Amino acid sequence: MRASMKWLAPLALAAAGCATMGGPGEHAVIRAKNKVIPSLVHIRPVKESFASGQKQEYVVEGSGFIISPDGYVVTNEHVAGDSTQVRCVLFNRDEIDAEVVGTDPYTDIAVLKLKVDEANLPAAELGNSAHIEPGQTVLALGSPHGLSRSISKGIVSVTDRYLGEEGPRPAPYNTWIQTDAAINPGNSGGPLVNLKGEVIGINTRKLSGADNVGFAIPVNAAREVIGAIIEHGHVPRSWIGVRLQEMTSKTDDPSQRGVVVADVDPLGPAAAAGFAPGDVIVAVNGEPVHARFEEDLPLVLKRVADLPIGSPATFSVRRGEETQDIAVVTMEESDYKGEEVEFAEWGFTAADLTPAIVQAARLPSSRGIVIAGVEVGTVAAESGLRQGDIVLSVDGEEIANLAEFQERYDAINDAGKRLVLLDVKRGALTRFELLKLEPGAENGDEAAGEVILDEEDGEEPNGEEPNEDE
Amino acid sequence: MRTNSLVALWIVTGLAAGLAAAPAAEEAGAFSPAFIAAQQKAIAPAICLLNFTAEVESQRTGETQKRSTRALGLIVSPDGLVMTHGHMQSDKSDPSNIRVVVGEGEEDKEYDGVFLKKPDDINVCFVRIQGEEGERFPCVTFASDGNLGLGEQVLLFGIMGETLDFARGALTRMISAVIEKPRTTYCIDEAIPFGYVGAPVIDSRGRIAGVVGYDLAPTEGGELYVRSGHPLVYQAPLFAKYIQNPPTEDTLEADQPIAWIGVFSQPLTDDLAEYWGLPKKGGVVISTVVEGSPAEAAGIQRGDVITSFDGMPMRAKKNSEIVGFTKLVRETDVGREIPVKILRSGQPVDISIVLTERPVSAKDAEEFVEETFGLTVRALTTDVRILLNLPDETQGVIVRRVKSGSWAHLAGMRPGVIVLRFGEYPVTSIGEFEAAVNKVKEARPAEVPVFCRVGARTGFFRLQPRWE
Repeated sequence: MRASMKWLAPLALAAAGCATMGGPGEHAVIRAKNKVIPSLVHIRPVKESFASGQKQEYVVEGSGFIISPDGYVVTNEHVAGDSTQVRCVLFNRDEIDAEVVGTDPYTDIAVLKLKVDEANLPAAELGNSAHIEPGQTVLALGSPHGLSRSISKGIVSVTDRYLGEEGPRPAPYNTWIQTDAAINPGNSGGPLVNLKGEVIGINTRKLSGADNVGFAIPVNAAREVIGAIIEHGHVPRSWIGVRLQEMTSKTDDPSQRGVVVADVDPLGPAAAAGFAPGDVIVAVNGEPVHARFEEDLPLVLKRVADLPIGSPATFSVRRGEETQDIAVVTMEESDYKGEEVEFAEWGFTAADLTPAIVQAARLPSSRGIVIAGVEVGTVAAESGLRQGDIVLSVDGEEIANLAEFQERYDAINDAGKRLVLLDVKRGALTRFELLKLEPGAENGDEAAGEVILDEEDGEEPNGEEPNEDE
Repeated sequence: MRTNSLVALWIVTGLAAGLAAAPAAEEAGAFSPAFIAAQQKAIAPAICLLNFTAEVESQRTGETQKRSTRALGLIVSPDGLVMTHGHMQSDKSDPSNIRVVVGEGEEDKEYDGVFLKKPDDINVCFVRIQGEEGERFPCVTFASDGNLGLGEQVLLFGIMGETLDFARGALTRMISAVIEKPRTTYCIDEAIPFGYVGAPVIDSRGRIAGVVGYDLAPTEGGELYVRSGHPLVYQAPLFAKYIQNPPTEDTLEADQPIAWIGVFSQPLTDDLAEYWGLPKKGGVVISTVVEGSPAEAAGIQRGDVITSFDGMPMRAKKNSEIVGFTKLVRETDVGREIPVKILRSGQPVDISIVLTERPVSAKDAEEFVEETFGLTVRALTTDVRILLNLPDETQGVIVRRVKSGSWAHLAGMRPGVIVLRFGEYPVTSIGEFEAAVNKVKEARPAEVPVFCRVGARTGFFRLQPRWE
């Protein structure tokens, strides 16, 4: 429905006054830059990827900024998440390693702690993103394409852009500051600042294919996430298993208040409590909620997320002409993605299932693991196993999660078994995938697994027929 | 323009006329200029140019746009039956405005053409030239066997491009591979130009062995080859019956119904046999049983190994050998009780199964064109349910096309969206969709919420009609 947004990173700020070089505007820019730039950090994490079927490390470059004298640094989750080490270069060129305190993929925020003893680092001042307005001058500081200490200037284009829950990086809990300050890959995690030198946002994304359409996380949304990460290592949120849509998805009548239930996760608490698509939630625990436009959704979603985890909450729901109260016991929102593990001897990587995967695959339960990648030339690749396959059982025994699979894997390898049978779900079909753990056995030249009938597994949006079944 | 003067009877036969005019190539791999010239003289008059309008579908809206295009046609009977490649027809849209140009240069004559129904089992199409009553056309006659050998040189006649005035051209190629399964197929060693798709293939003895094609039809295992992009020879016996008895709605629909068992399967490889402790004799492993299928009704379970079907041993050890089972099932009589031998947990079990007629596929599904809102929808068929992994409880109609600029288009609807409710009315079938639309049109509301499934999720689109 919307163009795919490609994230990337923020920018840098600058300021400081050389009054002789220009008018008062330039003076303000330089002054703001001078205030914030000592806290700017160039970040080079070593990250892990499992998509190729094996654990691989790679280096990325991003930006961040110091928020406390004892060395807490804020950056993006997509910069520092899944990293094994994080190297930082401060504005004074000091090179200091950092540890990842925690990350929050739902807002794309990560908090690092510099490994320093001193407690007098230059911390940036966080501003108030509720007080910004379109047209005001902003500066983006960071390391575009790895070029550290860079600064670009622009204005706030829109204060509350909604980027939605769709796509590979859903952002349900915040709107975004849209800016035309140049933001490039490498700016990610850097500060967006006002002319007072206060951080008002974290530069995170740009619209690829467009000119100067960048997006920053408002600092007011970030502040609470940063606090939770420092306190808990992650952001605990409540979850009831519904997807919400703005009221204008059903009606433009401004007197109709509430928020529309668009989808109900069949395995979530809301389904158990009797929610149905089309219901309109008008209040949560007696407090009215309303999202007329999509930009209003993050507030409602956050209201639900902020409910006490594991406690009953009362949702007032309008269905047709009637309004009823539905009690739901919230669950903690699951991780954004499951832990990933490499199974090197079998040639693939796998992850725990998440509710999103379970719902998309229409699994009857959340038992199983998902193949994250298959390494070329391995027994897994020869068997026909593919990325996205869901493994339900090993040698006829169901597996609940990655930990159980790991146990089975270790036991089978220790026992020196030659053949291992996986029950696999791929789309609507199930398959038997036989892993041959010893090379050189007979029948080795045939692609034992390629089912003829499901070659066109990829979704065909216009509903063409799948391959014939017999 | 329409000709009414060509009444000559030219029958060109590869064997009779061709051999009469020229000797066979003297040695394999070397067609002499004299041989090629003689063949060209005999065969080129039967090559015609098809100009027609094809419909091309937009990926974004599913709307079709018309495009003028052309193809090589080969006249295969003196009464004006023309054979061409199956790409002339796409999905459900037949080509239109067909004009057949017979002859070359100043000698050419243009006729109207009528598209006949495309056969299911071979990827060719047929067009009937609308000549004068009794008018006869030059045509080719194919060899009866169509056999070719590895390394054999073949001669192709085709049509050059528009800038070359559609001149008839010749190419030599070699048979680079003979594939035995699922049926004998010959690969041509090099890519061929566009104007040679559907071209006659002449062997070293001057016989017309077949025509140049690409993918096999799905019913002959086409999905195995469809992505190869490799030129093939469709040997004459595959389409001979359609030349004798040209395909029409009547002839094709008179065929027996295609049977359906409702399973997905994989071969019993030797490794799987070893794992399960079964004899390494091959078989058909049932990997998925479709809900509501004859297989389910007969008690077939996932993991069963079919070793015999209707008395025929099943010995599949490779994927390509599963096609034999597929074909056998399709050709089995609907309604007859079929004995099936299976191995279940290693133990032989005899069951019997009554196959039903294959459920309607998306291609043949009922379609409804709704003009007011701009939606063309289709019934949800079993194959689409499997493709999209839809649960049984998902009942609706699937959007096939969205008219550009329509109210549905403005609301962001697109092909592939499954309509579950239109306004206040549940939609579980084409009929209910039509009824819902009619009720909404009567009520003329200012806005119509449409509840839909998009991929794995559900949600609403809001139509905002502007009633006149």
